[in-house]
Amino acid sequence: MKTLITLLLLGGIMFAQEVVELKLPKSNKIVVKLMFRNGSICDPQGKEGLTYATANMITQGGTQEYTFSEIQDVIFPMAARYSSNVDKEVSIFTFEFHTDFVKDFYPILKGLMLTPAFAESDFTRVMKNQQNYVDQVIRASSDEEYSKKALEDLLFRGTDYQHMIEGKSASMAAITLDDIKAHYKKYFVKNNLMIGIAGNYSTDFLNMLKADMAKLPDATPTIPKPGKANMPDGINVEIVAKDGAFGSAIFTGLPLNLTRSNDEFAALMVANSYLGEHRKSYSKLYQEIRQKRSMNYGDYSYIEWYDNGGSNMLPPPGVPRSSNYFAIWIRPVQIAKQLKMQYDELSDVNIGHAHFALRMAIYELNKLVENGMTAEDFEATRTFLRSYIKLYVQTPERQLGYLMDSRFYGRKNYIQELDALLAKVTLQDVNNAIKKYWQTGNMYVTIVTDASEAEPLAESLRNNTPSPMSYSNLVKAGLPEDIIQKDEAVANYKLNVKNVKIVNSADTFQ
Amino acid sequence: MKILSLLIFSSILLIAIAVSAGSSSGKILPYPIFQHQLDNGLNVVTVPFDSPGIAAFYIVVRVGSRNEVEKGLSGFAHFFEHMMFRGTDKYPKEKYSAILKSTGASANANTSIDRTIYHMTGNADKLDIMFELEADRFKKLNYSEHDFKTEAGAVKGEYTKNFASPYQRLYEASLNTAFDTHTYKHTTMGFFEDIVDMPNQYEYSRKFFGHYYRPEYSTIVVVGDVTPEKVNALAQKYFGDWERGNFKPDIPIEPKQTETRFTHLQDGSIPPVLNLNYKGPAFNDQEIDMPTLDVLSTILFSETSDLYKKLVIEEQKVRFIGGGAFDSRDPNLFSITASLVNKDDLQYVKDEIVKAIENVKANGVDEKILKETKSNLKYSFAMNIDNPDQIANSLCHYIELTGDPETINRLYAQYDKVSVDDIKNVANQYFVPTGLTIATISEDETGGVN
Repeated sequence: MKTLITLLLLGGIMFAQEVVELKLPKSNKIVVKLMFRNGSICDPQGKEGLTYATANMITQGGTQEYTFSEIQDVIFPMAARYSSNVDKEVSIFTFEFHTDFVKDFYPILKGLMLTPAFAESDFTRVMKNQQNYVDQVIRASSDEEYSKKALEDLLFRGTDYQHMIEGKSASMAAITLDDIKAHYKKYFVKNNLMIGIAGNYSTDFLNMLKADMAKLPDATPTIPKPGKANMPDGINVEIVAKDGAFGSAIFTGLPLNLTRSNDEFAALMVANSYLGEHRKSYSKLYQEIRQKRSMNYGDYSYIEWYDNGGSNMLPPPGVPRSSNYFAIWIRPVQIAKQLKMQYDELSDVNIGHAHFALRMAIYELNKLVENGMTAEDFEATRTFLRSYIKLYVQTPERQLGYLMDSRFYGRKNYIQELDALLAKVTLQDVNNAIKKYWQTGNMYVTIVTDASEAEPLAESLRNNTPSPMSYSNLVKAGLPEDIIQKDEAVANYKLNVKNVKIVNSADTFQ
Repeated sequence: MKILSLLIFSSILLIAIAVSAGSSSGKILPYPIFQHQLDNGLNVVTVPFDSPGIAAFYIVVRVGSRNEVEKGLSGFAHFFEHMMFRGTDKYPKEKYSAILKSTGASANANTSIDRTIYHMTGNADKLDIMFELEADRFKKLNYSEHDFKTEAGAVKGEYTKNFASPYQRLYEASLNTAFDTHTYKHTTMGFFEDIVDMPNQYEYSRKFFGHYYRPEYSTIVVVGDVTPEKVNALAQKYFGDWERGNFKPDIPIEPKQTETRFTHLQDGSIPPVLNLNYKGPAFNDQEIDMPTLDVLSTILFSETSDLYKKLVIEEQKVRFIGGGAFDSRDPNLFSITASLVNKDDLQYVKDEIVKAIENVKANGVDEKILKETKSNLKYSFAMNIDNPDQIANSLCHYIELTGDPETINRLYAQYDKVSVDDIKNVANQYFVPTGLTIATISEDETGGVN
């Protein structure tokens, strides 16, 4: 397996119409997934967002036979649905339809993939929405998502992994309809495709699907090598200042040279689950920052990309990546402006809770790096994971997605293999992995916050100024001694901050 | 475009619909719903489902922001949901977390206007410990005053993350404008000043628990690799001695609205938004109004609707349009939202929406479209129920509204009965200017929509 993994990581390896099957004879539907081994890393320079636009022109446009509206009319009574999802290294089209409509729906699927219309009127509409996303939506609708995308922009600066999948404000205007047609012919091709099918389908249906998808363009594209995350010198902070932010949304990250392909991933997964399992109250970060101090809504850590963490409780499939980073997500904490308004006793605070929260997260990470996990925590976390990962694949669509992602990583069935790896992983393996992959001296940090908070926070970070937690009197009165003592240590915990920069919201993602 | 072939094609579809969507019993849910009521009034619902080794265990409590009648206590039902994770004498919060972790379940809770849901999905063979944990906290929740005060910060954190979104702020403003006295006036999060004051309400929180966390307010729903016998036995074992309460909240009745209302959010950071809110009915599975509005909203705003085709596809003045009635226990809003390209089109888009509605009032809808819409609703449901969580969530939604999971089957039976006349009737009854609240977002100081 190791040779295959190495080849995959080198980039340029394609699926060449591999088929992943999941027969579920009792199901009332069929799920078809078409995974192309090209994502936003294939966007030409100056035309960032082209892959996303091309996929959207397929799912949001018509075919040579039907307009977009006509397709909607046809599939409406069937409640059939389809969508595209573009990530850094793959683009996936997912079709779900009831078994009652196999013959009726299939021509639509086939038409969309083989003979998309790429009509001028669809192009205007699709591009307008995409432009709006990169110009406005990402900056205005969720500061958490904003700080996450800003972190990627920083981590991968100068590489093909840097830009948002949706593109940049400037690059959108450069994309033409001809670019989209050419991009489709170059990358959405039969030699670049993995077919996935789940549900109650016949062999004849699968054969028809395979034969038709073999009619996709016959090009053999060169897929660029995925960019690697940069290792910063010290802790580098970028503060994004915007008007009217309610809190400070924080993401931190550092390069991680490890993916699901590697067996060590299971060991680090145990450590990560203990430190910051997504949306779980059992993890260290959550307990320290949210449960004991109630500074925000939650705090989690990641050893691979987690799509749309604000909405998803369990990690969705369909976003496999060969370039990883370790990240900590600190959900929005209070800013000084808000604290002053809420509590008379905090009328003289200069900064809100961002500096303290960041210190707390890095303090906890550092403790784990220095001391490792205990045997008891290791066993409890491993036991949890061996059960929990089975919930990743509760629907046919998710099962299929995970199986296809497995192939991307050179595995057959990731969830099954992961369970076997977790069964044999030892405490020593986990603690070795922590030491090997995590450190606290060199990290990127992005903080999206209110303009009023940016400068005082930047100063505080630059100077490693003590940042005592500013509790309201009501909460302060009942704080137990152990929390008071730990707060003191955290407030004075020195971070290896080397660079703090403030950028205006309008200047991000250039 | 081959219109003729499409028409023929559509009629073939309709034949298929009649025989396939749903089960042989004629019910939309193709699995039997087993119900068993304990002596204390707790209803226990079990739906066996083919999910080897996995079960979804939900408890729905019929308390939400609707119950927040006292001034200054908006957002309390949601806050209380947070407190339910703060431990008991037997399982203090750390121990609760550790045991929950040992089950390997995905567990959480959420609150809405009419209910609070607690859920755990995981190993079916861990059901015993799941029941024990839940029964313990539902009967004997016991948190310290300090924990209570501290948890309020997490709620404020939730508000802080949510209100980065102008859409959320508009939603808050439109409810506040549309309602005068009913508790639907505030969001489930509550008014911000009430959230800031939450740490002072410890005494009230104990009262709140005593009022609502009772068997007569609650239903247990288990879906997955289980039998009703097993679930009922566990319910009896752990919840059998849960004491029944007798509290009944006095929910204010909303007076009739008499003129169009307006609210506007000046924000140029996102595309302009037009949000039209008509006062609608309460959910009811016995009357035709709500099922008809569901059908009508699909006809009016889906991607196949004339309005969508005109505004989004052809003219491209609108990026998105959608609409529908809130399912709720008391009369609530029918809300239509459009995201525009240009603020100068706000009035035009409003006029086009009203024109489409007036057309339905006068002329009804096409019979063929009505049939296709019913088919869409049924097949959408059938395609979605492919895992225990999805089924449990659907059942909880209808339990929240009527207390009875069979509502799901009754509602879809009602969809089948909706006629063109019904659609005309509800359109004339509910889409009136005197019941309308217009909410807008644009960079301008005012919305400028009449």
